[in-house]
Amino acid sequence: MQYFLGEAIVVEDLAKTYRVKKRIRFLKSHIEVVEALRGISFKVRYGEVVGLLGPNGAGKTTTIKILATLLLPDRGEALIDGYSVVKEPNKVRERIGIMLTVEKGFYGKLSGRENLEYFAALYGLEPRRARERINYLVKLLELDKLGADYKLFEEYSLGMKARLSLARALLRDAPVLLLDEPTLGLDPPSARKIRDLVKDLARKEGKAILYTTHNMFEAEMVCDRILLINKGTIVAEGTPEELKSRVPMLKVVNLVVRGNKKVRGLIADYNVKYEVKTEASDLHTIRVYVEKPEEILGDLLKKFVRNGYDIVSIRVEEPTLEDVFIYFSREA
Amino acid sequence: MSFYSILRAEYKLVYSEMIRRRSALIAMILYPYLFAGFTLFFGYTMGSAEIFSRRIGVDPVIFMITASYTVMSVLASVDDVLWRPLSDTFIGTLPYIIASPVSRLKLYLAIPIPRLTALIVMGFTSIIPVYTAYYGLEGLLSGLVVMGLITLGCLTMITLAMVIAGLVHTIGESWRVLNIVRPLVMILLGAYYPRIYMPLIGYVLSSLIPSSHIVEVIHNMLRGELSNFYILIALAIALAVLYAPGGNKSILYWEKKKVREGVKTD
Repeated sequence: MQYFLGEAIVVEDLAKTYRVKKRIRFLKSHIEVVEALRGISFKVRYGEVVGLLGPNGAGKTTTIKILATLLLPDRGEALIDGYSVVKEPNKVRERIGIMLTVEKGFYGKLSGRENLEYFAALYGLEPRRARERINYLVKLLELDKLGADYKLFEEYSLGMKARLSLARALLRDAPVLLLDEPTLGLDPPSARKIRDLVKDLARKEGKAILYTTHNMFEAEMVCDRILLINKGTIVAEGTPEELKSRVPMLKVVNLVVRGNKKVRGLIADYNVKYEVKTEASDLHTIRVYVEKPEEILGDLLKKFVRNGYDIVSIRVEEPTLEDVFIYFSREA
Repeated sequence: MSFYSILRAEYKLVYSEMIRRRSALIAMILYPYLFAGFTLFFGYTMGSAEIFSRRIGVDPVIFMITASYTVMSVLASVDDVLWRPLSDTFIGTLPYIIASPVSRLKLYLAIPIPRLTALIVMGFTSIIPVYTAYYGLEGLLSGLVVMGLITLGCLTMITLAMVIAGLVHTIGESWRVLNIVRPLVMILLGAYYPRIYMPLIGYVLSSLIPSSHIVEVIHNMLRGELSNFYILIALAIALAVLYAPGGNKSILYWEKKKVREGVKTD
């Protein structure tokens, strides 16, 4: 397996199958084979946030677990900072910061700071270095304002738990961060704080970040590159813009007109897919699905004006990342 | 990664839990009295104190309070090691511990020490007052020696507990197995049931438990005998050292099995 300088994560042909025992009758059960990963390959460079985007059960957490040395793959190889997750797990563990489920993973009767101190000791940070690092992270994630020094973890809100979880992932200042759905269930301000921090960590500190999510908007906001994963296969890869441009998708002309005549007859001539919604008897919202809007738009507008309609608004919509995801999933 | 840092972290974890969960602290203080009281009650209703003293060679009150204190301390240190993987699984901290580069031997050696310290200090509220009331100043000194011996007994149990923990958790449904292991250790320790009265198989199995040799030293001391004092202590330490590599391997084996199956993260 080839490893080049500047590549933080290299994954090649990674596959994992789970055997799940399913009970079918009182004393009878059978083994169900679930292919969680079907030979995925990708790379993440330093200073880059790569999003692993897919629905539930797509294989995102399985990938993160393998990279975090918490699960062995059946086939393939993964290198973190040049070290194999299978053959050199201890070396890998020294080079990663992980954030898994935000709700759990801390001791309830300890405050946020005490929890961080505990994990700092497990990660082998010298007491003075640990203190400095914790002070820095508590400030960075604004945990001090939320009472991380005295409030017990069991009293934390989900947003605070997520911030604390990210603080733990950053404790060792590891070059590679593996973040599994870090904003799941968070309120918008907390989610935004996490997203902003993640972007900064990659851009300013040069960390390599693998970020799993099923939130399209979030992936578009945070990630430099996106890997679309579905049923254990990477179905597409690229920047959000690249992915959108690769979809030969119809664009949507969203036209709002005012007038008393029937609008359907005017559009029917064009042989395109459309939807009409009428409000307050004379306000019509028309959505026309067309590959090249410029070819019909001028003529369509003229037709409406000629028939006595007032044009209220006109908008051409680009396909969203969600459309892209659905398209590639269907293709796969 | 120093043992001291890990130990400090464990102290903070255990004492924060202990202080912030007061019911557990009170139960810990009352436990030796409750256990000794319960055993003495049944002992007095079914047998005679004189016969007990004649057979065992120690006053039943002294014997039972010492036995309760010993069992409580040894089982607490064994429990800390045995149950820790389960509690970490339940709390959700296990993936972070497995994914940390911490030395498992250092971590598991450090885990029981904080609670053990607290339990040893509890000796000042359990055996010391009773010993002093029975034997005066000499009793106070004997109590301190017994506390020291029990500390050693607990420490020598850690590596065996690691061996058992790794094996039991590898099997699966470990909490069921642990509920069998616990009373077995309690009996084979010989604190309530001196091992010289055990059947041969019991005696052999008991001899494999490091702290059972310390218990024998304590029983001998209470009878006023000091025969084999150093030999028994050396035997306990030797067994503990012997179990250390096995304990480390056992924990690593269990972790590897967990990683093969996939460590639960939700």
